[in-house]
Amino acid sequence: MEKAKISAYQLFVLILLFEHGTTLLLPLAVEAKQDAWLSVLLGMVGGFVLFWIYYGLYQYYPDNLPTEYVQKIIGKVLGRLLGFFFLLYFMYIASRDLRDFGEMLVTVAYPDTPLFIVSALLMLVMVYTVRKGIEVLARTGELFFIIVYLLAITGFILIVASGLLNLTNLKPVLEEGILSIMKITFTQTLYFPFGEVVAFAMILPYVNQSKKAKVAGLFAIGLSGINIAIITVLNISVLGVDLVSRSPFPFLSTIQTIRLAEFLERLDVYFMLTSIICGFFKISVYCYVAVIGIADLFNIKEPSRLVYPIGIVILFLSITIASNVSEHIKEGLQIIPFFVHLPLQVVIPLLLLIIAFFKNRKSR
Amino acid sequence: MPSFFKQRKKKTNSEDHKESGRDQPNNRSLEFIHDSISINLDMIKQKTGNSSDIVIRTLNISLHSEIKTAVVYVEGIVDSISINDFLIESMMKNHALQEKLTRENALEVISNNIVALGSIKLVSNWEQLLLSLMAGETLILVDGTNEALSVGTQGGETRSIEEPSTQVAVRGSRSGFTESIRTNTALVRRIIKNPDLWLESMKIGKATQTDVVIMYINGIANEKIVEEVRQRLKRINIDGILESGYIEQLIEDQTMTTFPTLYHTERPDMVAGNLLEGRIAIFVDGTPFVLIAPTIFIQFFQAAEDYYARFDIATALRLLRVIIFFISIIGPSAYIAATTFHQEMLPTQLLIAISAQREAVPFPAFVEAMIMEVTFEILREAGIRMPRAIGAAVSIVGALVIGQAAVQAGIVSPAMVIVVAITAIASFATPSFAIAISARLIRFLFMITAATFGFYGIILAFIMLTVHLCDLRSFGVPYMSPFAPFSPKNAGDTVVRLPWWALKQRPPFISNENNIRQGKDQKPHPPTNRGMVNSHTRKSDQNES
Repeated sequence: MEKAKISAYQLFVLILLFEHGTTLLLPLAVEAKQDAWLSVLLGMVGGFVLFWIYYGLYQYYPDNLPTEYVQKIIGKVLGRLLGFFFLLYFMYIASRDLRDFGEMLVTVAYPDTPLFIVSALLMLVMVYTVRKGIEVLARTGELFFIIVYLLAITGFILIVASGLLNLTNLKPVLEEGILSIMKITFTQTLYFPFGEVVAFAMILPYVNQSKKAKVAGLFAIGLSGINIAIITVLNISVLGVDLVSRSPFPFLSTIQTIRLAEFLERLDVYFMLTSIICGFFKISVYCYVAVIGIADLFNIKEPSRLVYPIGIVILFLSITIASNVSEHIKEGLQIIPFFVHLPLQVVIPLLLLIIAFFKNRKSR
Repeated sequence: MPSFFKQRKKKTNSEDHKESGRDQPNNRSLEFIHDSISINLDMIKQKTGNSSDIVIRTLNISLHSEIKTAVVYVEGIVDSISINDFLIESMMKNHALQEKLTRENALEVISNNIVALGSIKLVSNWEQLLLSLMAGETLILVDGTNEALSVGTQGGETRSIEEPSTQVAVRGSRSGFTESIRTNTALVRRIIKNPDLWLESMKIGKATQTDVVIMYINGIANEKIVEEVRQRLKRINIDGILESGYIEQLIEDQTMTTFPTLYHTERPDMVAGNLLEGRIAIFVDGTPFVLIAPTIFIQFFQAAEDYYARFDIATALRLLRVIIFFISIIGPSAYIAATTFHQEMLPTQLLIAISAQREAVPFPAFVEAMIMEVTFEILREAGIRMPRAIGAAVSIVGALVIGQAAVQAGIVSPAMVIVVAITAIASFATPSFAIAISARLIRFLFMITAATFGFYGIILAFIMLTVHLCDLRSFGVPYMSPFAPFSPKNAGDTVVRLPWWALKQRPPFISNENNIRQGKDQKPHPPTNRGMVNSHTRKSDQNES
């Protein structure tokens, strides 16, 4: 473990930026049509429960990283193996997100630039950051939190002011009943983005106020859930269900429709700035978590030395995980949630919590 | 690996050096002053290489003129009037006391009854003797004693107090620091009349023996930071300190950065204000620039006047300065990115206008911007270094070359000239030169990233810059505080400045626990009923009539 401490507020900011990471980019719960925002809010409630599980585990072992306490809960060999799986998972998701951003940039702004170059640049900045450690990452987060919120508020005002908001697009509410929304929640929004908070199980031991960490985490999930729901509402009410479901980057399409005072138009950069900042934090957190996890699992004294190799691994993984965009998105929507997210975000932590509960009761 | 050995070697070298440096004064200090005055005077001549500015005046005092004494001083750095009037004259003419004088009590009588000057002390070894001679003190040697008197007669020509030239304020004190360290510390003491204003002196520089003073308010400054400053200053082992910049570069937290992690100022009121916030001032003899530690980023956007102007105006100006800083960093790069990669972002008519202008220009936007920026940097550098009389010529050449000829010759487009001009003015409008010059450097980096990757490059460079800023520290205080780590209690005096009655606390990460600045409820409470005041005055008017 790195000798560093972050405050509860910094944890809050990091989770918030992390949650916004790729959700600004990709369409969310499109199958729920105009009720996508309800599905997001339900996912947020699920996110509360998941965070409560991770926090419960943290409370049993407040000074240990998950890679350490897993070994205490289910034994050395199995624990190490499981910890290793978690690290692979973090690196895999980091590379998926990196791919998302690379594809976005190539599609939107730089059609002639190779994907590898675009991703490599982003990775370079992240490697530089992760090398500095969690404290610097958290402090940077605090600054960008202010910037992102200023951008969000001005963006919201611009959308409303240009008269694009058409709330009738949101009706009818609950057209297909609550059950279908529940189904979409449990197949999509619960895992992405809310279940991804599992990465913060690795960061919780760094928080210096452990009581406040719970409140901060829950608040961050709640606020980001509301923000994401607002973004979904904006997308649907501006573009309509049909356009949202066909657009690869619905939020970008929404922002592109802004036209105000004959000169504020085509604000692609606005979207790029916000989404890259949030995505930067998401991938950096995954990358950082992978680095400290590996350093802990393999007893490496200086985690910062691992940053370059792991950064390169994530970069190459992001190029090789899929041969094209549609393959990449199909994997993300149909395979990953059930075979990767569900066990690693929900089932295993829950089992660990139960075992830890019995183990610690016995020892007391 | 080789670099590792190299470092080690260096380290041992410097250690050897230090030891030898330490040994020398020890050897010398063993040589006590000799009994015989002629040997002593010869010794002084020999040690100083018979320098022509050293004045040795031998006198024979006492009734029968049998006691040989000598007055030794360095001309130019002493106050010659006081030496003549209060030292030499009183030694020669004080007949009443001359009767008492004997060889044994000579020094005592001279110091107690003859010399009419404030500071006087006994020295017994050569090192001290020569140091005090070189510091502007006057030595009195008496034949037959192995001690000497050293009288404080520092003086000589110094610059008088003038208005600071780098930090001008419309409202506020007009006095600026001078080159004399005593004047400078006095200027601050005149503002803070408090016994808790503590000064610690030390001499740094083996050859120059420069006076360095740490000033802080005991009970407000954080003891840990004071100790850290002390330690870092004591570590310095260098031949000379010519300006506070030497000290700054030897004690700063990080060298590999363009950002200054120590603030320097010419204004006594700014030093006083910073001391009251719990910071520590480092005065260096020979320069009007005083260092202030610890420093945070936002300090470079604060001008002394902000605190004198009303809060709304101060806040507006601060926000303006932050925007100016951003413009001076990303001005040209945004233009490059927009014209090269993101033409769709510009409004159509503006785009047509720009591309019509650029039609005749043979270079890509990046080269165009580089030509203009480099030209401007050359002009600016020329403007600073050249003699004043030629200034007008340079500005005419600059205006014609940049403004007109370059556009007419088709080398750059008029839009580019506007962008460069705005950027240049923006970098002049930043209140601190130290931060403006680092923005100048970073601007070129941004231009390169913008030319290769458009706005994506700018965004990435911006993220990297922010990470770097968050990584910096100044004496343990994070550079970007109070934003990162965020502390709402301190945010009142950053990009905004709240009214004085709302700034209740000192920044707790800088000062110690005693951080309450003002009593409760300092908000002004004028009587709400205007009529009441008027009726009162009216009544008194009636009484008078």
